[in-house]
Amino acid sequence: MTRFDKAWREGLAIAICSVVFGFSYTFVQEKGLFAKPASRRATLGTVSAAPSVIEIQEALSLFQSGEAVFVDSRHGFDYKLGHIRGALNLPLEEFDTKADVIASLPRNKILITYCDGADCNSSIELATKLMESGFTSVKVFFAGWNEWQGQRLPMAVTQ
Amino acid sequence: MLKRFLSNEFNILTARVFLGSMLLVASIDKIADPAAFAKSIGDYRLFSEPIVTVVATMIPWAELLCGMAMMFGLLIPGAALLAGSMLLVFTLALLSALLRGLDITCGCFSQDPAAARIGWMKIGENVILTAISAYLYFSASIRFSLEHYLSNREENS
Repeated sequence: MTRFDKAWREGLAIAICSVVFGFSYTFVQEKGLFAKPASRRATLGTVSAAPSVIEIQEALSLFQSGEAVFVDSRHGFDYKLGHIRGALNLPLEEFDTKADVIASLPRNKILITYCDGADCNSSIELATKLMESGFTSVKVFFAGWNEWQGQRLPMAVTQ
Repeated sequence: MLKRFLSNEFNILTARVFLGSMLLVASIDKIADPAAFAKSIGDYRLFSEPIVTVVATMIPWAELLCGMAMMFGLLIPGAALLAGSMLLVFTLALLSALLRGLDITCGCFSQDPAAARIGWMKIGENVILTAISAYLYFSASIRFSLEHYLSNREENS
């Protein structure tokens, strides 16, 4: 038997064991594939309601009425190059260290998170983390910065 | 010189323990929360949800078993082949996500949404781990392994 034949058979045996263990464990623990619908819905965190995703028209309307505060989840470097006017910068990876920014977020206004657009998911993750932190009115402007910039809506640059 | 270095029993053992422990560590968070791992895989936007869920159920256990096989020294060529194949697929997925401009978390070790995001550094890490898998696959040594101990016992009895 060649080295590849032996390795191939051994690898297959490990793969089969992985399937058996994986499915048995998740079944017994009611996780992942076998999670109950309620816990499956909360896979993003412990919040029961997921943040709603809004389109640009609603984002603009909330911007103009002043009912919302925009929260930019991108890196500080990208934020400085350009962001929605009035938006605060709270990069997702700095969430745990930016307690001062989180404390400054108003609880009586709608928070709208955004990142670049469809190619990033940090806006959704940030919105989820904000909801887990007790903010009840959080929305995600998923089309994000690319759409806002593309439509030449109010922007700001940090020097 | 290089050949001697690569065939050194202690270097092979070090590579086995290193790769084995990396795989073990990588599997823990994924086994604990397969749903979060499924979400990480889904973020790559390569597969449909049913495939993602099944993959998220199997992969962590394959990592755990390959890691244990390497650490203890059992089925080393098979574990190296499987781990190397998985790492190669992970590297291609990372590369594809980077080329598509996705800004997502890697899902490699931690399933925390605030964990390290994908980048060339992650691809580098994966390439190194794939190379170590290939090294272990081609190194025929089973010294300092459970397999070696068991075959010795069999011969003596």
